[in-house]
Amino acid sequence: MTRIRTALTVAALAAGLAPAASWADSITVANNGGAATIGFREAYYKPWTAKTGNTVVDDSFNQELAKIRSQVETKNLTWDVVSVTAINEATGCEEGLLEKIDWSKYLDPKDFAEVGGFGQCGLPNNFVSGGLVYDGDKISADNAPKTWADFWDVKKWPGKRGLLYRAEQTFEVALMADGVEPKDAMKVLAAPGGPERALKKLAELKPYIKWWKSGDESMQNILSGDVVMTFAWNGRVSTANRANKRNLKIEFGAGHVSGSQMIAVMKGTPKRDVAVDFIRFASQPGPQAEFARKIDYAPANAQAYPLMTDAEKATLPSGHMGKASLQSGKLYLDFWLNNGDTMLQRFITFAAQ
Amino acid sequence: MALPSYATPVERALHVGARVFAGLVLAYLILPLFVVIPLSFTAGELLIYPLPGWSLRWYVQFFTDPLWTGALANSLMIGVAATALATILGTLAALGLHGSRFRGKSLVVGLLVAPLAVPVVITAVATFYFFATLNLIGTYAGLVLAHTILALPFVVITVSATLQGFDTNLVRAAASLGARPGLAFRTVTLPIIAPGVISGALFAFVTSFDEIVAALFLASPQQRTLPRQIFSGVSENISPTITAAAVVLLVVSVALMAVLEGLRRRGERLRAGGNG
Amino acid sequence: MPPNSAALLAGGVDAGLARQVRRAERRRLFGMLALMAPSVVFVALLFAVPIALFLFRSIDNSEIRTYLPRTVEAMAAWDGQETPPAPAFGALAGDLRALGDSSAVSLLGRRLNYAMPGYRALILRTARNLPDPATTDIRAAMIAAAPQWGEAAPWAILKQQSGSLTSFYLLAALDLERGVDGAIHRVADDRALFVGLYGRTLLVSLGTTLICLVLGFPVAAVMAQAKPATASWLLMLVLIPFWTSLLVRTTAWVILLQNQGPVNKLLQWLGLIEQPLALIFNRTGVFIAMVHVLLPYMILPLYSVMKGISPTHLRAAASLGARPLRAFRTIYLPLTAPGIAAGATLVFVLSVGFYVTPALVGGPGDQMIGYFIAYLTNSAVNWGLASALGALLLLLVVLLYAALGRLVGFERLRVR
Repeated sequence: MTRIRTALTVAALAAGLAPAASWADSITVANNGGAATIGFREAYYKPWTAKTGNTVVDDSFNQELAKIRSQVETKNLTWDVVSVTAINEATGCEEGLLEKIDWSKYLDPKDFAEVGGFGQCGLPNNFVSGGLVYDGDKISADNAPKTWADFWDVKKWPGKRGLLYRAEQTFEVALMADGVEPKDAMKVLAAPGGPERALKKLAELKPYIKWWKSGDESMQNILSGDVVMTFAWNGRVSTANRANKRNLKIEFGAGHVSGSQMIAVMKGTPKRDVAVDFIRFASQPGPQAEFARKIDYAPANAQAYPLMTDAEKATLPSGHMGKASLQSGKLYLDFWLNNGDTMLQRFITFAAQ
Repeated sequence: MALPSYATPVERALHVGARVFAGLVLAYLILPLFVVIPLSFTAGELLIYPLPGWSLRWYVQFFTDPLWTGALANSLMIGVAATALATILGTLAALGLHGSRFRGKSLVVGLLVAPLAVPVVITAVATFYFFATLNLIGTYAGLVLAHTILALPFVVITVSATLQGFDTNLVRAAASLGARPGLAFRTVTLPIIAPGVISGALFAFVTSFDEIVAALFLASPQQRTLPRQIFSGVSENISPTITAAAVVLLVVSVALMAVLEGLRRRGERLRAGGNG
Repeated sequence: MPPNSAALLAGGVDAGLARQVRRAERRRLFGMLALMAPSVVFVALLFAVPIALFLFRSIDNSEIRTYLPRTVEAMAAWDGQETPPAPAFGALAGDLRALGDSSAVSLLGRRLNYAMPGYRALILRTARNLPDPATTDIRAAMIAAAPQWGEAAPWAILKQQSGSLTSFYLLAALDLERGVDGAIHRVADDRALFVGLYGRTLLVSLGTTLICLVLGFPVAAVMAQAKPATASWLLMLVLIPFWTSLLVRTTAWVILLQNQGPVNKLLQWLGLIEQPLALIFNRTGVFIAMVHVLLPYMILPLYSVMKGISPTHLRAAASLGARPLRAFRTIYLPLTAPGIAAGATLVFVLSVGFYVTPALVGGPGDQMIGYFIAYLTNSAVNWGLASALGALLLLLVVLLYAALGRLVGFERLRVR
């Protein structure tokens, strides 16, 4: 009897461990973590699961392209869908790491034209602006930093500075601090001597830099007072303000780095169709507007705007695009496609030396 | 080094100083753990003293959020599987090692304890490359095997240590009295080595339960373990839930340690009794 | 079992019985070996083989031969002057065509890019613009697809890198590289990282070991002299942190040492400081947390050695008129040497391989070699270089064990 009962228990356990049921699929979606995960969960996962019965496991990463490379190159896929920066979409597509999909079969390209349109593999999901952020409760408006040169001024504003632990975006910021107009930052960077100029500028501030890798970390640093100013992405700033009832300010006038966050399917996933279905769902106006409400990144689908209130739209970074260094265009893509690995290596060496 | 009565005041001061210093060092060792515990009971969102109030909300979150309960379940499942595997393999190996002499035995011992000596990051990376070719990345089996490798030396060492005091002639005596090997093992060997096996199993479990480096390389989100979940929390955003998780890990480790200490002391008493 | 029992029997009784006993002994040995076999096979297969493959990866260079077999063959006869003969161009076009749009093209490009920046772009560009296989002048067509193929440098690099084994990664792990002319030289200062990193790893490990010794010695000594009941309480205070997960302890320090954390708040409340001290994400934080994690590994071996030192030695010294300090220096300290050696070796070897703690409490400038092995595996997919760094680290650890382990007798220590 005991033995039979044991056998039954084991069978029951095994059944419990097996995928819930064959008719429902589960996909793994990797995004930027923290507040971005919450946005994805509330705006995309939950309603998609409610609609289709399919479930989502989420994972986060800090846009290390290598995490995608090692999965595809070793054929050990742990993800099915990835939320990637525009440059990672372009690089990943070129390297055969992402599925090439013709999104115009499912969605209208016109709705996504303003944020760069469809890529060969992925499509824009939301629009992110990274800018100069400080705590409005600690630095009064009349004494506030106005430029990236101010960000570098540790005499007037003593304390640590938070910067993104990546070459891409951080090099652009360094050049803006060196007096380059935001719209020219990529031109200067891609010209001979550009990266050296950026690294030299970063070296000036190096002893004061606290590097951050994830958006949540950037917020943790400034909320706890570990840094007095930081480079940070706009959606993180508004969610941090809302969640903690704080008064972080973002100074878009100093210049900012802006571009689309894209979404794509991992090359070779056996769940390609389910993944495509998920992405189609996440690109619909309804979920897009809901995502913007959760994390304040602008929706990629223009059809989402009519669904938002004026108050909701007011939190988006439109109106400052004249001060943007854009993460799109031939100059930008060519430079980072061909030099991304080399620049990252030089940056890492610089930071670790 | 008790102080003789003729010690000079300077020597006395040094003697007292050493004790005070030792006390401070012990405080440095133990206090950080105890400072974290109250923080996990905070009613607020931030990890600061003074606490705005007491609350169990972070424990409620820990035991209800699927992210954390899933991690706890994974840790327990992987821990139990790795422990079972390591304990069986390690106990058999220790018995074999104890009962035999042959050339190259030290080599075998060396191989079995080598996972202890090699930095874990190297073991983890090497396993990662190897498992990638076997498609074992992001599988429960992969993580269990990796943890078994890391835990096995502890079982071999602890069971071997118990066997040092074990007279093989007892088994022969049993055999000469007609006991078949299985019976002799059950009635003679097992009761004697049981404390060692249990200690080894506990060591193995804690090794797996606390393990982070291999989990970082080999686990996919489905196999996310408790340490892995804490790690990503600490490197991104330290919330009080993480302190609650840390306290759970702390309690499990200390409880297992207490069991182990109890076993050790009991063993010492028995041995002392036998000699007296 | 006395090993010569069979011989005794053979001498005393008859040969048949001796044979039987020998056979029984052999059978017993086989039984014992059979007990060991599963573990040995398990560890050999899942630990020794992976480590061996990992080490091999640091000199393995199979990518280029695997992906460009025809090109490598066609270049074999090339004397290295100017550009290779036309068949090499055709072979390269054929090899790249065979790879299609798989991720192998980018893997190949990345591999060659280590040797010459810009090679990745060259390979991808060529693969995207492959000439028609029917073309008559394949050389001109390839140069039209990517003008760099008209130069000697990419070909020279390709030939130089196409051996089945390479010293490339091991050299890179020592901040060295081979120029186009084949001579080994140091890389430019702004790219040199790893020699300094090994230096930092050794320095941090040495510092950690010394601090552990200074902090641990008095604790062990006080414990060794305490009454048994007190000693077992004190031992608990060492064992609890020892048993607590490294991650939990590191987490505790991250919380404690934050700018607004309890330590800074306490110091401010006491009026010792006005501005919070930077205690974390720098070298200070790394030392505070690493010493905390490793201190028990110093205290426990010291304690077990000190407990074995008989007080009569010191009494004898005292009776001969030695002052306590002198007795300490000339009698006690030498007797504790094995404990110091054991503790120091353990702490040093463990800290050399540390990864998680510095990753959580240090800045990029405080990371040690373990971090970069993980980084190159996880975030850069440069597995050859990761393996080369690992091979050097492993060599370091083995040397340390060989030099100190013999002296210490590790099998006596229970290590977690």
